[in-house]
Amino acid sequence: MTDAVATSKLTKTFGRRRGVIDVDLRVGRGEVFGFLGPNGAGKSTTIRLMLGLYQPTSGDVAVLGRNPLVDGVAVRARLGYLPGELALFPRLTGREHLDWFSRARAMRSTKYRDELVERFAVELDRPVRALSKGNRQKIGIVLAFMHRPELLVLDEPTSGLDPLLQDEFARLLRETAADGRTVFLSSHELDEVQRIADRVAIIKEGRIVVTDGVEELRRSAPRTVEFAFARDVDPAAFSGIDGVRLIENVDHRIRLAFSGAIAPLLRVAAELEPVDMTARAADLEELFLTYYRDDVTTAEVAR
Amino acid sequence: MTTDTVARSAGGAAVGALDVTRLDLRLRRRATLGYAVGLALYTLAVVAIYPSFKGDSSLDKLVQSDPTMMAAFGVTGSLTSPVGWLNANIFNNFLPVVAVIVAIGYGAWCVAGQDEAGALAPVAALPLTRRSLVAQKGVALAAQLLPTMALTLCCVLLGRFFQLDVGVGELVTATCSIWLLGLGFGLLALVVGVRTGSRGLAIGVSSAVAAAAYLISSFASTISWIRPARFGSPFYWAVGADPLGGGLGAGDLAALVGLPLVLLAAAVVAMRQADLH
Repeated sequence: MTDAVATSKLTKTFGRRRGVIDVDLRVGRGEVFGFLGPNGAGKSTTIRLMLGLYQPTSGDVAVLGRNPLVDGVAVRARLGYLPGELALFPRLTGREHLDWFSRARAMRSTKYRDELVERFAVELDRPVRALSKGNRQKIGIVLAFMHRPELLVLDEPTSGLDPLLQDEFARLLRETAADGRTVFLSSHELDEVQRIADRVAIIKEGRIVVTDGVEELRRSAPRTVEFAFARDVDPAAFSGIDGVRLIENVDHRIRLAFSGAIAPLLRVAAELEPVDMTARAADLEELFLTYYRDDVTTAEVAR
Repeated sequence: MTTDTVARSAGGAAVGALDVTRLDLRLRRRATLGYAVGLALYTLAVVAIYPSFKGDSSLDKLVQSDPTMMAAFGVTGSLTSPVGWLNANIFNNFLPVVAVIVAIGYGAWCVAGQDEAGALAPVAALPLTRRSLVAQKGVALAAQLLPTMALTLCCVLLGRFFQLDVGVGELVTATCSIWLLGLGFGLLALVVGVRTGSRGLAIGVSSAVAAAAYLISSFASTISWIRPARFGSPFYWAVGADPLGGGLGAGDLAALVGLPLVLLAAAVVAMRQADLH
């Protein structure tokens, strides 16, 4: 079977403004794929290219084995989309939205849709403009999932949802994947993605800087170690070690992020006679921030 | 195999041919009814006061004394004849202007406005082609002008009870030509909206073109240097030859029908290249 999503050198520019550059993505069927990046990195642009909403400047995109610009109807019939800045029609109620979209999709059964409405306690009777962001988002989730699409493209899906509903949503994603369907999920929050995604791609300033499995990333992620000293210590002593970065230096305590073997670090630290040491397990957050940080160039992180 | 059958065989159905039209008509329901009722009341008033002005020859003298001034308001010829009265108060100015305003409002909103508000993406992400999306918007545009046109026409027909008798065929022709005029400007706004992605620009550009076309049509009969430009004015095609008096020519009709068709084709082309958000 073809990949759920495959892009190759996908590029989109808006005049002189950067959109995304040379995006290569491969998402297998049945996968939950996380698409991470800070705001403005190009997540929504990539998603709109996948849906055929944007015309690529160059490069290729195939969704469920087809080009969304050529076979848009066929692609979108099998796809569910939750836009990032979900804007519904303010004067219509949730029910009117669901009814119209169900009819437009020629859905034969509304059973699953109604289950979702109940599960997320969706407010159906008030006009959308009177709803909170979270309540609107719930309508958007039902609209994306109700026809049981083969591929779900979700742009920042949990924004506005309270923690309980975020858990419920994570369960829904796992069920969807267990059903053999594919989820492509963008987020700027690592936590959300690492809980549910199998693999992630991180995009920064329009370019993919890394694509890997969550477990693999965790293994290579920087760990944090903290040394406590009885006196002030110059942290410059650590600057010569490969893969070590100073996070904090307060009250005789030095916190470092490091990747690779710990021995060189311990040797330097031992010289300085620390009184205590705490080490923390691999931290994906730290890795994520490494990719986000402005002073790290794309080439460096992509090494 | 067409795209539709591919989609159906793949387990999903394409969006119905009028689903988007229905949605937009629902969203514009209040405005559509508001304009229709407002114009109907205005027409009733114009019709009902006709008997008081019917014998007022000073009105005709007014037109003769300053034809250019009166032309600015769409008044030409006799004011006291049934056709002259209706043209001067409804068909040469108020009805076409309202039709154009309604049409430009929808044309600018239906793609650019919805896209700016972020509400178009969920619809554009449905299984439908860009061509179908634009065509359905075009149908919604035509349909939402109809209540205003039909109610106005009915109210004018009531004129029979107020000594205001005009031919039914001419009345239908005049109303249809204004409907086509509205359609043309609405589609112009749609095209500008799709091209620029801006509802404000769509309204601005098409309103400016409409205003120029209106002035050219109005002054064509009284200001000689404007006269040659009249053939480029859709207002002139629609009202210049006095359709209510039986004057709509084949050329005018062809232009009135042709303009929306050309603009609809332009909208489809523009839509295929457009980035939707």
